[in-house]
Amino acid sequence: MPRPGFVLDVDRSTPPLLFWAGEGFRLERLPADRTRVIYPPEPLDPLPHPEAAIRQALLNPLGDSKPLPELLFAGMRLTIAFDDISLPLPPMQRPDVRQRVIEAVLDMAAEAGVDDVHLIAALALHRRMTEAELRHAVGDRVYDAFAPSGHLYNMDAEDTENMAYLGSTDQGEEVEIVKRAAESDLLVYVNINLVAMDGGWKSTATGLASYRSLRHHHNVKTLQHSRSLMDRHNSALHTSNWRMGKVITDAGVKIFQIETTLNTDTFPPPFDFLMKREWEWSAKDRAVFLGSSKSLARTPNRLARQIFHSIKAPHAMTSVQAGEVDAVHEETIRNVHRQQLVEVEGQTDILTMGLPYICPYNVNSIMNPILVMCLGLGYFFNLYRNKPLVREGGVLIMSHPTPWEFHPVHHPSYIDFFEQVLAETTDPIRIEAEFEKSYAEDEWYRHLYRTSYAYHGVHPFYMWYWGAHALEHLGRVIIVGGEPRAVRRLGFMAASTMNDALEMASDVVGREPTITHLHAPPLLLADVK
Amino acid sequence: MTLKLRMPRLAFPFTAAPTPASVEPLRPKLRTGIDYETDWARSFGARLARLALLEGVIGPTMRVLATPERRGLDYLRDLEQPEHTQPVIFAANHHSHVDTPLLLSSIPEPWRHKMFVGAAADYFFKTRITSTASALALNAIPIERTRVSRRSADDAAELIDDGWSMLIFPEGGRSPDGWGQPFRGGAAYLALRCDVPVVPVHLEGTGRIMRKGSKRLARSATRITFGPPLWPDRAAGDDSRRMAARIERAVAVLADESTTDWYTARLHAHRDATPALSGPEAPSQWRRAWALGDRGPKHRRATSRRWPDLT
Amino acid sequence: MKALLFERQVAKFAAAAVAGRLVPGKGATVGPISLQDIDEPEAPGAGWQRVRPRLSGICGSDLATIDGHSSHYFEPIVSFPFVPGHEVVGELDDGRRVVLVPILTCAVRGIDPVCSQCGAGHPNRCERIAFGHLEPGLQTGFCESTGGGWSTSFVAHESQLVAVPDALTDEEAVLIEPTACAVHAARTVLPGGSDTAVIIGAGTLGLLTIAALRAVGHTGSILVAAKHPAQRHLATELGATQVVAPSELNRTVRVRAGAMVVGDQLTTGASVVVDCVGSDDSLAQALSIVAPGGEVVLLGMPGGRTSVDLTPLWHRETSLRGCYAYTRDDFATATALVADTGRGRGLGHLVSATYPLARYRDAIEHAANAGARGAVKIAFDLRHDKERSR
Repeated sequence: MPRPGFVLDVDRSTPPLLFWAGEGFRLERLPADRTRVIYPPEPLDPLPHPEAAIRQALLNPLGDSKPLPELLFAGMRLTIAFDDISLPLPPMQRPDVRQRVIEAVLDMAAEAGVDDVHLIAALALHRRMTEAELRHAVGDRVYDAFAPSGHLYNMDAEDTENMAYLGSTDQGEEVEIVKRAAESDLLVYVNINLVAMDGGWKSTATGLASYRSLRHHHNVKTLQHSRSLMDRHNSALHTSNWRMGKVITDAGVKIFQIETTLNTDTFPPPFDFLMKREWEWSAKDRAVFLGSSKSLARTPNRLARQIFHSIKAPHAMTSVQAGEVDAVHEETIRNVHRQQLVEVEGQTDILTMGLPYICPYNVNSIMNPILVMCLGLGYFFNLYRNKPLVREGGVLIMSHPTPWEFHPVHHPSYIDFFEQVLAETTDPIRIEAEFEKSYAEDEWYRHLYRTSYAYHGVHPFYMWYWGAHALEHLGRVIIVGGEPRAVRRLGFMAASTMNDALEMASDVVGREPTITHLHAPPLLLADVK
Repeated sequence: MTLKLRMPRLAFPFTAAPTPASVEPLRPKLRTGIDYETDWARSFGARLARLALLEGVIGPTMRVLATPERRGLDYLRDLEQPEHTQPVIFAANHHSHVDTPLLLSSIPEPWRHKMFVGAAADYFFKTRITSTASALALNAIPIERTRVSRRSADDAAELIDDGWSMLIFPEGGRSPDGWGQPFRGGAAYLALRCDVPVVPVHLEGTGRIMRKGSKRLARSATRITFGPPLWPDRAAGDDSRRMAARIERAVAVLADESTTDWYTARLHAHRDATPALSGPEAPSQWRRAWALGDRGPKHRRATSRRWPDLT
Repeated sequence: MKALLFERQVAKFAAAAVAGRLVPGKGATVGPISLQDIDEPEAPGAGWQRVRPRLSGICGSDLATIDGHSSHYFEPIVSFPFVPGHEVVGELDDGRRVVLVPILTCAVRGIDPVCSQCGAGHPNRCERIAFGHLEPGLQTGFCESTGGGWSTSFVAHESQLVAVPDALTDEEAVLIEPTACAVHAARTVLPGGSDTAVIIGAGTLGLLTIAALRAVGHTGSILVAAKHPAQRHLATELGATQVVAPSELNRTVRVRAGAMVVGDQLTTGASVVVDCVGSDDSLAQALSIVAPGGEVVLLGMPGGRTSVDLTPLWHRETSLRGCYAYTRDDFATATALVADTGRGRGLGHLVSATYPLARYRDAIEHAANAGARGAVKIAFDLRHDKERSR
């Protein structure tokens, strides 16, 4: 029986705590008597028969939806959209959940004799997936059956011919999604809901949308009012997506939503100690920790990155639900909470966190400084319900080497954003007003997004907006072990040790601040009372 | 002077005495065929030797000879359990002597080194030498082609219950013409008896390397397609015959998949339109061969001699 | 008198070439330049005046000469031994302060009638710099006959002298000559209206070109590639729109021009690129970011032979032009500009450090590493030299 997450009060006998720091980790001692550590719940037991569970879900849909076989008929146009490379993290061991679900859906489609099937990677403005990545996500069988004939492909949000405008919401938000999805007899969306932010109407309204549509919720105002991003009912981002969902429904798009949740079994042996509590590390775990952290310190960046990015998570499915979007998503959120929710009492002055080597936008790539900001302030900071773990005006301390490095193919517009926009200002409101449009409409970025493997020109802006709520809330951000030049460009402060960082925090929060350490990954969601 | 050497004529008791014609001779103690004892082939030393042979010789040879493309291994993932290895019966179609080594080097851990092969008693266990070689190299146990004999079934079941997985070719022999033969009930019988899943496997291309009757090896690409495990389901009325039909159908779907694609194969399967393994019913042999298309044996055109060679 | 003398000594020249490549400015230690006590140069004729330098700047071309990597092209148009120094503010015997216009034109050389370029008002393009009654030498500071600014005394023709307004400090006045170069360049290339000008290099010349472009009325953006942090601040202050590291320049130009990229080449870019560095790399970079039909200007003295792929130049009809020295008119504009750039203050603060002649090795090393050491212009200060009053 997996144990739930819990909050540990640090005293003098507490061992040093594990902090992720990019492609490596560090052990840090935090002050006794005023520090608490939030440990994630242990991975839930997986569904014993995933294949059977998927079939079961497809045959017994939730909400106002007929079983999938009844929605399928010969001669129909069927479109299956699926989440892209940004999920799950790290990528899971084969077979991927998407493969299992898609094969189950297709088997039913084959039974009904459906011939016109398209499978679309729901990229929105993310980079295109490579053949190997697509094969990993949908499996070789599905890839070989559909890709050679051009029926399995990455969406292209800049292909105006193949995007459909469906109308606008009562707030004037335009809705434009992939035409094939909008005009099919049935759109099946296959989700992996790693965190509570994913899924629901965000799948279709964001995953299959274009810049024209996304700008209405991927902006500073919305994101400053998404408190948090992980709390669907208190997130302006989600409210906007749900309004768009209504437009999509009203336009007659028929959606069969499939959502799956995973347990937090994040690292395979022998690195599974990274998910354990420090005092439960076995002799072998300690040896692996010592060996790997010592050798990683001597490994060139490039190689270390390769090693870490080859990790495939042993994630296993804990639930699968299908049917009508709202009903499915409520059930999904319940299942995500079942795995990730930890109750925490009140806020503290300082929040500390160790940032790992991966975030949704650098799978098989480089975690550049903008992504460090986004992972820390956009994702980890937002892993809360009710109120942030740190008080308003408090300090965020995160550990990451933050090298001034970019993947030239995946993140071309990030480089320019970092060199030119952040050199000018780090204020999200100014950035949005002065720079967003020219980057979003830049012909070159558009070209790279469509034909190479580049994130869209506007994507680095979204990364910055993702942290807008945290930027507004926090009094100071300190990166332990960060490259000073890059950290300064982000508008943060670099500290060489945790003690220095705490010292630097003291002129914002005083000499005896209370501290919370978010012991993630594995992921958790703090329910702050 | 000449030296005459004369061998003394040996007789009983220096030689064996002839059996009197009126007496039934004793059965030889060293047995071959169906009665060959293979227990020794699962001793530690034999397993070690087999591991070295498989990883050191057979595997590399197959990589060069057959450049295998392995698909569907992900289906096996769900059978892996942290505590124990689920024994599995791998049932494949059969074209060539290459099939067994190719499959043995393609089946992944944790089954790879805990496999035994059901081999035709009349062929592999004909003599003492072939018996020993088959048992050592392939961990083969003798079974009869045509029927489920009591002894071979008991042996196999015992091994499966012990956690060993089995490789069997339910057709009972190599294909004479590139098309399949009807599946026999052995695999199904064992699956039902031991309650273990059958993983259907389809081999494509091994016939081009060495087909039945051929004496020469030719390099050729092969494709090995694993299918989803089939569990015996007595409640749904599975008996040996029905389960054997299920296995045959599953292999036929894999064959279809390997010539078309997965979705087309699913469409065919649901429409009951999967092409039969045994090929078209045709009165003439050439039409069956013709229908094989490029799956048939490859003939290498003799390279023409350059003449005159003026250099 | 005391003077830094540059002699023709082949072995030392070779040593300087090696040393200068290893440590910029080291040519002063091992090379053919040394502090010597020599006779004051004689006035070659009527109309010549004795000038006692007050401040005398160290220019990029001087450093190239000392470190032994200036072009062989100069050999027939300099005369050894010479006293370097052509950025000079000094005083005449009557105490008037003057700035030197160092080009040794027909008028200076006593050639009458003057050559067609001098006659057409382009003294910088004078056709007679190796002829007339002076030894060859393109400028004062490269000519045996006249002496040069890195001494306590030299001679200059009265046509070479421009009076310094009393309001100017010596520091401002010593920058008039390099500023005139920048003004000349700015006038030559002045991009139309809102066009973008790119300046590669933010040393003295680069910074002054920014100021000059603004002074002659350029309103479009000015992008500057600056290697060193201190230069960025100065460049912005002088009117640069955006200052980036050289490695970031191509991307910056691309974003601003909305260009596509083909190989390393931007499909469009800046209409004018001013190369104030003069290396292979800077020229290649200039060619890759200039718009088709645009102009690349060599303002920094090039390092002699270069190897650059000219295909883009041919294919995109790019103009490549040199820009050398100035006219009298540029000098007048420069005199006004050093006092007031129209942005709050003059340019005097660009003189970062001064040295007495005796510390010439330190001075030259400092000048050769000016950017990295946060400096711009280094000059010799001769105001306190005892020799002057003799």
